[in-house]
Amino acid sequence: MRTIALPRQNIKFTYDTDIKDSLLNILIAQQIFIESPCGGRSSCGKCKIKHLGGDLPPLSVDEEKRLTQKEIEEGIRLACLIYPNTDLEIDIIDQEENHPVLTGGYVPEYQRNPAIWKKPIEITKPTLTDQTPYEVLFEKALDISHLPWDVLRQISMGEGTYTGVFNQDQLIGLEKGDTSELLYGVAVDIGTTTVVTSLINLKTGEEIDSEAAINAQKNFGQDVLTRITYVLDHGKKGRNQLQTAIVDSLNEMIQTMCERQKLSSSLIYEVAIAANCTMMHMVLGVDPLSIGKSPYAPIFVEEKDISAKEIGLTALSSFGRVYCLPAVSSYIGADIVAGAYVAKLHDRKDKVLFIDIGTNGEIVLSNGGKLVSCSCAAGPALEGMNISSGMRAADGAIEEVHFHTEKGFILKVIGDKTPVGLCGSGILAAIRELLKHNFITVRGNIVKPEDLEGGDPRLSYIDLDGKKRRICIGEGPTKILITQGDVRQVQLAKSAILSGFVALVNAMDLTFADLDEVIVAGQFGAHLPVESLVGTGILPKAVKDRITYIGNSSKTGAYLALMSLESRQEMATLAKAFDYLELSVTKGYERLFVECSQFN
Amino acid sequence: MDATPLMKINRNNLEGKVKDMAKSKEELLQQLSDCVFEMEDENAADAAKEYIDAGYEALDGVLKGLVDGMNRAGQMYEEEEYFVTDLLVCSDAMYNGLEVLRPHLPLDQDADAVNYKCVIGVVEGDTHDIGKNLVRIMLETAGFEMYDLGRDVSLISFVEKAKEVDAQLICLSTLMTTTMPGMKEVVEMLEKEGLKDKVKVMIGGGPISQAYCDQINADGYAVNAIGAVTLAKELVGMA
Repeated sequence: MRTIALPRQNIKFTYDTDIKDSLLNILIAQQIFIESPCGGRSSCGKCKIKHLGGDLPPLSVDEEKRLTQKEIEEGIRLACLIYPNTDLEIDIIDQEENHPVLTGGYVPEYQRNPAIWKKPIEITKPTLTDQTPYEVLFEKALDISHLPWDVLRQISMGEGTYTGVFNQDQLIGLEKGDTSELLYGVAVDIGTTTVVTSLINLKTGEEIDSEAAINAQKNFGQDVLTRITYVLDHGKKGRNQLQTAIVDSLNEMIQTMCERQKLSSSLIYEVAIAANCTMMHMVLGVDPLSIGKSPYAPIFVEEKDISAKEIGLTALSSFGRVYCLPAVSSYIGADIVAGAYVAKLHDRKDKVLFIDIGTNGEIVLSNGGKLVSCSCAAGPALEGMNISSGMRAADGAIEEVHFHTEKGFILKVIGDKTPVGLCGSGILAAIRELLKHNFITVRGNIVKPEDLEGGDPRLSYIDLDGKKRRICIGEGPTKILITQGDVRQVQLAKSAILSGFVALVNAMDLTFADLDEVIVAGQFGAHLPVESLVGTGILPKAVKDRITYIGNSSKTGAYLALMSLESRQEMATLAKAFDYLELSVTKGYERLFVECSQFN
Repeated sequence: MDATPLMKINRNNLEGKVKDMAKSKEELLQQLSDCVFEMEDENAADAAKEYIDAGYEALDGVLKGLVDGMNRAGQMYEEEEYFVTDLLVCSDAMYNGLEVLRPHLPLDQDADAVNYKCVIGVVEGDTHDIGKNLVRIMLETAGFEMYDLGRDVSLISFVEKAKEVDAQLICLSTLMTTTMPGMKEVVEMLEKEGLKDKVKVMIGGGPISQAYCDQINADGYAVNAIGAVTLAKELVGMA
């Protein structure tokens, strides 16, 4: 009789070597199921296991054929082709296809293999004849060579049941009793404006709860550059203030979710963070100054795996971890790497453009898996800022507008309240309608009443302020007006994004017609209908029927980093595969910007 | 980056010789002005050629034709009728016309003519230069001899260039709050060199304000390219 151990699942069983059966069948006999669509006929190559210890026969021809070089190097084997006859230690790789969908976006398939895992153990009391120290008893039971000092101090040791908490192969904590079923993590997207957290059951991959809030750093400046300038002006103190602001928010948000779910926050062991490069520097308390100046080199871009305590994140286990996703550059942050990964840009054989629309628009173009990216300074207009009647997407904000020749402007107002102003999607919808019904020319000018014939339905909506023309789209406590200046703000944002779009397509020697899909990402982008995106010319009309939405792919990327070490690895690899195009120094960019400013 | 002036015009020699032709001089000047104003950048060179072929003074063509059109465009910009990008197209038209007229401009310089020289650039750490380009164009149109140092310009270069060409004005631009302190440094350098009274400093760009201008002791702030012209003239005492 020999044994097979699956340490991560804490399973150990004996098997009879005389039966001479395949590992796949031996596992099935133990009710351990791994994916095997071909039923063990060695034709599908799906029944992958990871070889951790013990002797296995050499690689078969079929395995060589079905496994990649990388998999072979990692010790991946196919269970149906192995006929074991020694003690073995293996790991099974989950390949479930139907994971629950995370609210707020599409989640791709992934290999479930969280970095954090638990192993319950039994400790029996030492005797007078065997005075083995507890340290050694725990080391043996946990199958580790050394019990770390900080873990040793965590609890009083004695006989009974304990659970070891691991971060990959490192023991990070010990808990009394068998807590192996209780394992939670938090996926976080830190946007410049909004922060979103999701409470995840690491055992099942299920999203249990989520919480969104305005980034508390807004008190130090609305956009990334102003906040960097705050640090510039206030030095180390400013850096600490910005870090505290965001970390406190995260603590509060996690606490809120835990209270709602009646879950002890000590059962959360990891927080995975995706964010733009500046936010990532700030949450870790790293100097962001170099991001804000040419040549725009950040301090760090690589993934980080650190103790949560180190940054003041306390609403989780005392030995909890923080994992930060990798970035590419100052302007292509971990949020975009996450998005590109979730959209599987690296795997696509066709031509796909990924765009995250916000104060900064980031665009990634994948030409058969070759990635080139750029960042465009769109400004805050698309989010309803710098607009005369602009407001946040709250009650009273107009979010959709339609113009009807007889009925006039028909408004959709959040909360069905009296309209107060326009939020980002509302201002875009308004401009779209104004263009469609020729209130605004292709050059962005509001038509002059003297150029219209008497009885033209447009006349009654044009409001004059001295010589300046404005369009009145509705009335709440005051008139809701679209000014020429508002049109210019949207025009600037649209020129910035569209010119980035065109510059990337040009850089790859492609045309709009070549693009197979245009993926719109981000919380904000999700609220912008195709009609508005194309109708205002933020995206070219030629791609209208190929636009899809992926939701908050930044948070989804953080979720994948929690749930799958393979996804982490792939994101780190992906981050290194990006090319970056700096628009402001691209030849002919000014001319392109001019061309892209036209509303046609 | 072109640091030599594109347009070197002797403003004290505006007299043109009147000739009788099919299209009057006024009509041709109007045509030049309209090409710029109406953003017909592709027709500007032809209009300039027609004007020169008719035998009229190149200098008038520049000042009463092209520059007039640019000034009209600037006026429209101020009235919000023209967009930034419209002005850029107008300036393309102006430069297309200028290329044709330039070889015909008188080379002799009047000894008494005052040349107002201005050094312009985007301060170190910033690479956004559309706004700066617009100010350069409008100042050039207004008759300044412009020395454009480009973008992401090391701060000392502004002072050195101003000393080298004996400029009366330095224009500093930035779009980013992070690079604003560079403007203060330029002012301080000038003070240290004892040039503060001789060389005026004008600042502009998205995050700049009059308050900031006062705070760093710069000589003036303009909200846009048109305002910059009025202010620049005032600072150097140009009539």
